[in-house]
Amino acid sequence: MAVDITDQSFINGLIEQERRAQRPRGRWMVVPIVILTIAYLTPFYYLLVTIFKTSEEYAKKGVLELPASLAPFTDNVIQAWTIANLGQAALNSLSYAVVGGAIAVAFAASAAFGMTRLNLIGANGWFMLIFTGTLFPFQMYLVPLLFGYQRLGLINSWLGMLLVYVAICIPFPLLVLRNSFSSITREVDEAARIEGASEWRVFVSMIIPNAKGPLIALFLLQFTFIWNDLLFSSILANGIGVRSIMVALQSLQGTYSTIGPNVVITATLISSIPTVLLFVMLRKYFMGGLQLGSK
Amino acid sequence: MITTASTTLSPEILKDARRRERRVAWRQTRTAWLFIAPAVFMVGSFLLAPVIFNVILSFTRWQKFTGLDKFAGFANYQRLFAVPYFSEALANTAIWVVGAMVLPLAFGLGLALLLRNIPLQETFKSLFFLPKVLAPTAVGAIWYYVYAPRGVINSAVSGVTGSPYDMGWLYSAATVTPSVIVTFVWQTVGITMVLLLLGLAAIPRDPIEAARVDGASSGQIFRHIIWPLLLPTVLVVTILNVAAGFTTFDLLWVMASDFPGKRTLSLAVYMYYESFSNGAWAYGSAVAVVLGVMVIAVTAALAVIQSRVEKNIR
Repeated sequence: MAVDITDQSFINGLIEQERRAQRPRGRWMVVPIVILTIAYLTPFYYLLVTIFKTSEEYAKKGVLELPASLAPFTDNVIQAWTIANLGQAALNSLSYAVVGGAIAVAFAASAAFGMTRLNLIGANGWFMLIFTGTLFPFQMYLVPLLFGYQRLGLINSWLGMLLVYVAICIPFPLLVLRNSFSSITREVDEAARIEGASEWRVFVSMIIPNAKGPLIALFLLQFTFIWNDLLFSSILANGIGVRSIMVALQSLQGTYSTIGPNVVITATLISSIPTVLLFVMLRKYFMGGLQLGSK
Repeated sequence: MITTASTTLSPEILKDARRRERRVAWRQTRTAWLFIAPAVFMVGSFLLAPVIFNVILSFTRWQKFTGLDKFAGFANYQRLFAVPYFSEALANTAIWVVGAMVLPLAFGLGLALLLRNIPLQETFKSLFFLPKVLAPTAVGAIWYYVYAPRGVINSAVSGVTGSPYDMGWLYSAATVTPSVIVTFVWQTVGITMVLLLLGLAAIPRDPIEAARVDGASSGQIFRHIIWPLLLPTVLVVTILNVAAGFTTFDLLWVMASDFPGKRTLSLAVYMYYESFSNGAWAYGSAVAVVLGVMVIAVTAALAVIQSRVEKNIR
């Protein structure tokens, strides 16, 4: 079929067709999406109106009604903070998450360096050994850890909690870092070695700076995991001085609790602040972490 | 030059060179041991040793206060099937696994396809991802009140129908599992969607455009082009969600804290209840072993399928 490409109307037709293809299809789809999003966000709306209600107000009004004033919020925070000792619990969890996450990623990075850069004999076997740590459900660790911790005097201790978290947070970062270290060119460290740099120096000043993105993303993922943990901390450390924020939160809620929903909901908000803030500020790294996770 | 060099490489020199090479390799290996030692020690003593101990424990008759007791053979495993709790927990776990496998994927895929070509995509993505950033314990606490007799859902129902409604969603055996699964889906659909959007973005546009020019419908394009290319991502998401379906604990423990029969809500809850509320450590270990075997078998099977599919595409 011959086409007269000098025919202006034909060209205009092509341009129009192209423009139609480029336009985001179905602008009307925004309507169901918005309705869906509103329904999806209702629990957040419920949270938002509840933290500003007093207990009496919560009992009398409908759950989705707006509060009379914003003032009760301060009192709710004070109640949640004092009854559940949230300050101490938040401090505990923050220290577990920062220290534990950092040590775990550091250990994983060091192991990944040893496995990819140093001609380690049997490197794959060592990797598989550590990677086995991601296969088992956490339920298989609980009873032996409780038993061992009682024998070693690590039960209800800050150090004991930290050690569990470090161990659990090593295998996944190792998997990711082994891949990203392998993709850094060999010439970098060969050159440094010829200059007389020690392996430690090669690791710290050549490899680490080249993998900053994955290292930060992995730290964030481990931080979030430790901060959010209820399972391990509820069994190994539920004393007031060492218990995690999630154990404190859980102690507020439930059958025998006489504390109003307004206070419990305020506590859930407080306990979610660090991870939500991190997500908002470092969205890029979080989404990067997801990509790491799916490979 | 070249000929003289090759004639001087006598067997002795070659052997010497090889020996020196091996010595260098061993020296590097010894240095490498120092680098991997912390990780190996931590994982070995806090994860792998407990797993082995757990398996041994499941063959003993150990209670919280009796101390490590004598070998009991398969007694704990036989007891699993002698009590009704275990079968109920197993049945509920099956419901969880199927629900966690199908629902987030179906809704996540729907959302991903809806959100793919619209303005403000990033905003919607972040909004749907937000629940995943919250701890399951916090999500459970919020939804505990959403499902409460005077909670959000019942208020909405009575608002629509005009008559008071006070269903105890988390108090009845018929509704508690589906209710908690809905919360799980609420929390998981966002991350599922984001992963699927990453997969969709990696699909080349040319074959889709070509098919459209040839007059293929959207349904045909999805079935014959998008779905096969998306399948590896779908399977990765499935592996993650299935593992979560087997082991979800926090949500159930927090949301169903009032439910009298909560021990049978899943194997993860049953294990926790028997071990730490009842102090039946050896028996709880046996439950954990059964759970472990199932999780590993199912995820391994899915991983094999996933790698086959990926190979077929390349």
